[in-house]
Amino acid sequence: MKRKNNKFNKRPQNPLNKLSLFQKSDSRFSKKCPLSGKEAPIIDYKNVKLLRRYVSDTNKIMPSRITSVSQNKQRKLTSEIKKAKILGLI
Amino acid sequence: MSFYEHTIIAKQDLSTPELNNIEKKYKEIITDTDGKLIKVEKWGLLSFAKKIRSYNKGFYIHYKFEAENKTLDEIKRNSIIDNSLLRHLTVKYKKLDTETEYFKENNEKKK
Repeated sequence: MKRKNNKFNKRPQNPLNKLSLFQKSDSRFSKKCPLSGKEAPIIDYKNVKLLRRYVSDTNKIMPSRITSVSQNKQRKLTSEIKKAKILGLI
Repeated sequence: MSFYEHTIIAKQDLSTPELNNIEKKYKEIITDTDGKLIKVEKWGLLSFAKKIRSYNKGFYIHYKFEAENKTLDEIKRNSIIDNSLLRHLTVKYKKLDTETEYFKENNEKKK
């Protein structure tokens, strides 16, 4: 007996397969968090290369709604970025 | 006993024997107050993102050690008083990873 994978059947496979024109497609907003999961980079105040990606040109912390970082990791990011700012690395 | 990291920024216009004296001084403070020194990293001369007290660059020295409260008090007290330092930061860790060095590549390129 094969089990049906309900996860994949939930979403419409074709983006044009919508009820109305104004309905927003799910696939656009289903972005995974880049800092969680296996083989994720370590968030640390010494890892300046990674922290630079989550800071704007004027050294402000980017909101998670743009970078799609999960809530737990965003809290860690902010604390590490502030530590790096004390040492003048960012 | 728990693990700590301590980083110091020294002024740019110091000579090399003065820098070595500073490095020695904080090593001795850790070992004299029953702390275990695990690793010392010299990050070398790095440029700041912003000016700190009208300096553009500074020497970074990084300590990893295992110690109790009284060594922390000594280190913080000394690094505030010290005139040759610009800034300092201590961070507590549950586990220290001594393998990854983020600032190693920068030093090799300069040489």
